[in-house]
Amino acid sequence: MRTLLKIVLLSCISLSAWANEAVLDKVNLENDLKSIERGADTLMGACHSCHTLKYVHYRDLLNFGMDKQKVEAWRGDQPLDSALVAQMSEADAINMFGKAPPDLSLMVKAREGGPNYVYSYLLGYYQKPDGSTGNHIYPETKMPDILNSGGSTEGKQHAEVQAQARDIVSFLTWVSDPHEAERLRLGYYVIGYLIVLTTLLYFVKKQVWSKLN
Amino acid sequence: MPGRIVEWIDQRFPLTSFVKHELTGYPTPRNLSYWWNFGFLAGFVLVLQVATGIFLAMHYKADVALSFDSIQHIMRDVNYGWLLRYMHAVGASAFFFVIFVHMARTLYYGSYRAPRELMWWTGQGLLLLLMATAFMGYLLPWGQMSFWGATVITNLFRATPFFGDQIVIWLRGDFTVGDATLTRFFSLHYLMPFIIFGAVLIHLVALHTVKSSNPSGINLADKDNIPFHPYFTTKDLYGLGIFLIIYSIFVFFIPNSLIEPANNIPANPMQTPNHIVPEWYFLPFYAILRSVPNLVGGVLAMGLSVIIFAFMPFLDRSRIPGGARYRPIYKLRFYLFVLDMFILGYVGYVPPTTQTILIGQIATVIYFASYFIIPFISVKEDAWLFKRGLPPEVMALIEKEALDKEERKQKRLRRQGDIT
Amino acid sequence: MSNTSSEPISEQLGDGNRRDFLIKVTSVVGGVGVAAACVPFVASMNPSTDVLAKAETEVDITDIPAGGVRTVAWQGKPVFIVHRTPEQIQSVSTTANALDPVPDSQRVQHPEWLVVVGVCTHMGCVPNKEGLGWTCHCHGSQYDDSGRVVRGPAPKNLEVPPYYFVSQNKIIIGKVA
Ligand code: HEM
Ligand code: FES
Repeated sequence: MRTLLKIVLLSCISLSAWANEAVLDKVNLENDLKSIERGADTLMGACHSCHTLKYVHYRDLLNFGMDKQKVEAWRGDQPLDSALVAQMSEADAINMFGKAPPDLSLMVKAREGGPNYVYSYLLGYYQKPDGSTGNHIYPETKMPDILNSGGSTEGKQHAEVQAQARDIVSFLTWVSDPHEAERLRLGYYVIGYLIVLTTLLYFVKKQVWSKLN
Repeated sequence: MPGRIVEWIDQRFPLTSFVKHELTGYPTPRNLSYWWNFGFLAGFVLVLQVATGIFLAMHYKADVALSFDSIQHIMRDVNYGWLLRYMHAVGASAFFFVIFVHMARTLYYGSYRAPRELMWWTGQGLLLLLMATAFMGYLLPWGQMSFWGATVITNLFRATPFFGDQIVIWLRGDFTVGDATLTRFFSLHYLMPFIIFGAVLIHLVALHTVKSSNPSGINLADKDNIPFHPYFTTKDLYGLGIFLIIYSIFVFFIPNSLIEPANNIPANPMQTPNHIVPEWYFLPFYAILRSVPNLVGGVLAMGLSVIIFAFMPFLDRSRIPGGARYRPIYKLRFYLFVLDMFILGYVGYVPPTTQTILIGQIATVIYFASYFIIPFISVKEDAWLFKRGLPPEVMALIEKEALDKEERKQKRLRRQGDIT
Repeated sequence: MSNTSSEPISEQLGDGNRRDFLIKVTSVVGGVGVAAACVPFVASMNPSTDVLAKAETEVDITDIPAGGVRTVAWQGKPVFIVHRTPEQIQSVSTTANALDPVPDSQRVQHPEWLVVVGVCTHMGCVPNKEGLGWTCHCHGSQYDDSGRVVRGPAPKNLEVPPYYFVSQNKIIIGKVA
């Protein structure tokens, strides 16, 4: 038994060691329309030139309730039904960065750590002594420091960059699972209902069985 | 009117008597605990998987160029598509959870013993079918985990002597997991649940022949049997309510906890994710595979680890009914086995390091050892327990069983005597 | 539930009633749940949002020359957008030949622009533009340049879809302003 306990303990230690590879900042997501719209705005300005969101269409933004004028400005002369396709072609991007920028529609769901990962990554840039930039979270990244997080480590500027990153992540979280709000809402009703039903069934069972003795 | 229709049918088909005899009036031991709910729950989850699966298949496209997109189409555009998909994905896990509990119940109470060996073996067949179904379903979303999971598992067949490589290519219909693999997996994933239905039917016919076991292990007198309806219909439905609450918490609040992040990246045959893991329900077996530092040996060990359940009726030589209930050593062995499963599951989940590999190897040895010692402990334990004394009704039952056995032997001998 | 104490038999009865009542309530609640659980399954067979998005089609009509026709897909069906010449407009000024007489003015919003669903009202083939008007090759129906049937067997005129002009050279089909 003692050895077993030791094994279990050892296992726990190795598990935490592995999970702690990179320490992620925690982001307090906002899931109201305004922050998501702000996030979309920032993303269309800062990320959309290189990154596609192939599962998101301009019509989805409208249906979600975003400002019509803004959506019209973003889409230009593309049809409402078209996806948010990057302005830069993939070939150009590969030419420039050596690697195609990944699609962002599912980015939050596709990384261990979810929103925290993306947030920490966007803010993870730092200035190396030789003048180039590095990233704590994803050292091999080819993406430049878009929000200039490496250059704004203090005061108001820092807070601003954090807010921007948070908005972008709020938007990307919505985009990765657009029915999440509906799902949670429905979930409360379903579980509330099931608790009522199960309570009733409990009493039915009790009554039926009480006849036995 | 309904009465007349039933009457009309009854003259042509034994509907009422069938329902009365096999369903509502089926005599059931009154002392069944809630651990006996899980068979019914497994049947319910099967229906749930088929229902959600059929509706998903209306929108799903089995084509390497379209699969991943069609899942996103389901998740985003189809009305309640997200609900159907999460129900199906969570349902697969729920299925294994329910089946594992069902099996643990059987092991604990010794329900695999005579005369229920066939139930245990059909159950084993159901487990294998379920594993195959879930494994093939997991390829369908065509994410990174889907692809690499299928690649690794089909490669297990490389361990086949002489034809290994050919068999792997035959299974895939391609040199790697590709379009041909995806379409056949979809076809089979659609088919297998219906085979499972058939196997469940056999499982149930066997059950109605040998009747349910019960926690006391003693065959209850007729006065202790009660009709299935209304007693166990209400008990099962109450249990179903509890199950649905837990299931819904997963479906509505944490569905993504059961979907690996990497499966949200489309399959890429040119790049393996850093950390590939199977679904949680395969982890203990996967850990056994990884513990053997040899391709063929690992595959054999893994195969044996699943098949070994089937030997339980032979391994357990005890004459005491009721499984762990009257047998402290067997009970200890049971809990150690469950603990060992958890350790293996954990080892299967974490990336291999020298430390975890060592833990895995120890756990693998314990896993098999825990089976091989059963014949010895069951005999030794019996002797000890007989000496210490057992409850009179248990002793009576053992004596009756011994007498029955003797009688059968005599009969057989007499018959042989007649013939010669 | 109230008569439990009066007679010995009513005690059982009362209990039975209470049980029946509980079972009835539970059955109703359970039944409602089962019915509600069917909703997502049934709803999933309705058109999905990407299909519904095709319910409206935006068309830029700038480069359709006078006398030209553009065929666009709307809800998966062909819609003919005809930039009519004065001659074509002249040809449909009367309802003399029409089998289903509706004045042309009721079928267009601007005389130069005719917008009709290109599906023959007989059996659903797509008519061909031939000279003035259309001919359906399936069973020989003919339509004029207002999309009105002038020869059977088609029973009705080509349908005019809901549409409106967003600007001078852009229309949206599938919706009225
Ligand atoms: C024994 C019952 C079944 C089990 C255990 C099972 C298991 C699974 C699993 C594990 C997945 C992958 C889930 C994911 O991560 O997305 C899946 C996907 C799928 N299954 Fe099943 N399944 C069963 C029955 C069925 C049936 C009867 C159908 C009907 C045709 C079906 C159709 C599908 C489809 C279309 C997918 C792809 C969509 C998706 O990935 O969510 N399944 N199944
Ligand atoms: S379908 Fe056009 S004439 Fe019959």
